[in-house]
Amino acid sequence: MIKMENVNKSFGKLEVLKNINLEVKQGEVVCIIGPSGSGKSTLLRSLNHLERITDGRVYIDGELLDERKNDKDITNLSPESISKICSELGMVFQRFNLFSNKTVLENVTLAPIIVKKVHKTESTEYALELLEKVGLSDKKDEYPSNLSGGQQQRVAIARALAMKPKIMLFDEPTSALDPELVSEVLDVMKELAKEGMTMIVVTHEMGFAKEVANRIIFMDKGEIIEEGKPESIFNNPKEVRTKAFLSKIL
Amino acid sequence: MSDNTVRIAGILVDSFFPLLKAGLLYTVPLTIISFVLGLFVAFITATVRILDIKPFAKIAEFYVWIIRGTPLLVQLFIIFYGLPSLGITIDAFISAIIGFTLSVGAYSSEIIRAAILSVSKGQWEAAHALGISKKQALIHIIVPQAIKFAIPPLSNSFISLVKDTSLAASITYTEMFRVAQQITARTYEPLWMYTEVAVIYLMFCTVLNILQTKMEILFERSGN
Ligand SMILES: Nc1ncnc2c1ncn2[C@@H]1O[C@H](COP(=O)(O)OP(=O)(O)OP(=O)(O)O)[C@@H](O)[C@H]1O
Ligand SMILES: [Mg+2]
Repeated sequence: MIKMENVNKSFGKLEVLKNINLEVKQGEVVCIIGPSGSGKSTLLRSLNHLERITDGRVYIDGELLDERKNDKDITNLSPESISKICSELGMVFQRFNLFSNKTVLENVTLAPIIVKKVHKTESTEYALELLEKVGLSDKKDEYPSNLSGGQQQRVAIARALAMKPKIMLFDEPTSALDPELVSEVLDVMKELAKEGMTMIVVTHEMGFAKEVANRIIFMDKGEIIEEGKPESIFNNPKEVRTKAFLSKIL
Repeated sequence: MSDNTVRIAGILVDSFFPLLKAGLLYTVPLTIISFVLGLFVAFITATVRILDIKPFAKIAEFYVWIIRGTPLLVQLFIIFYGLPSLGITIDAFISAIIGFTLSVGAYSSEIIRAAILSVSKGQWEAAHALGISKKQALIHIIVPQAIKFAIPPLSNSFISLVKDTSLAASITYTEMFRVAQQITARTYEPLWMYTEVAVIYLMFCTVLNILQTKMEILFERSGN
């Protein structure tokens, strides 16, 4: 579903991703862990053009999304086809980023209506279904500012799902939440994983990673240091840096 | 009361309604028309620059640079007294409208641009992640949120414009201040006449201040 080949990314002189090779198969749940500043968000964001890589190739669902050499775009893709490929991906942000001028329901229906030209009634129907699924049907007419962080994040998940993505990207979806609100969001994500959604989750929730992930990727200083099944990463890490990181947070 | 006091009181009373009438019939329409057109220009200028639409973004930047870097009075003189040398003769009212529109357009485009830029980056990113184009994001998400930031400074521009329209007197357009000048020429009471016209400007601006406060409360309440 997702493939990154020899991906490098720099911000000016700062190398943030170094020769990343990564493949994610359909239905896989991959959790990315690692210290702050290791490039986890940047990796995720280069999968939907929120960041542009400086070198390498990115494929989404078999289609080339980005190919660069020395920061030169060599894909010749039109903005339309890029946006079409990106629409296979749903993204959930640490800070929710709900549209603050729209109600909960409008947040969920907006993109299907204006991007996919889905009819309003149809889109509303599906949005209500999704809000039901994340347990927020009763909040449909509220504005985001009236919701708790956990509720906002569940709306954000519903909003992403409304575009019927094949892959969901989560960037520390629970890091901005009060501890007692974390589980309501993780529960929704577990449900999604169970339904077979392909997911890449950057997280500090090791319990969630252990329980749900098929694979854990440990990143440090822009590199993938180690990857493997949760049991092997958490119980028998091979690399020194992985051991050091895990001993600090577990 | 001395004869002179009575005479001045008479002049002030007699001139009040002609001045007010000039204000309502000429100053107010000149202000409103220029402001509305100016906002339109400002919005286009800001959008073109935010979306970096080539080559218009550069042209817009150039336009803002010129207008902000030269005095409004000089711009009005160029339009009204200067252009006829090129065979372009524009009457005073239209010259004033053009001058003020260009001025409002440039200054307000900076206000609108700043308001748009102050909407959090996360809103753009969320839109992008959903496949919403930049243009659609502006229309549906960013501009509605930016309005709240833009209203107080735009109201200030509007109030400044009411006063700036007095510059049109210098290109022979008979708005309120020019009427005051004409009465002064007859009565030789500059202190009293100009004070009186100042008071009428003050009245206009006070009404606008009250409206501004009302509008800000309204937008504060309408959420987001
Ligand atoms: N837009 C940017 N411009 C310059 N440097 C950036 C930018 N975005 C990120 N960086 C830098 O790139 C590095 C990696 O950032 P990134 O956000 O990907 O890390 P992360 O692993 O997600 O960290 P965290 O756990 O704190 O979220 C950091 O050193 C960061 O300062
Ligand atoms: Mg991050």
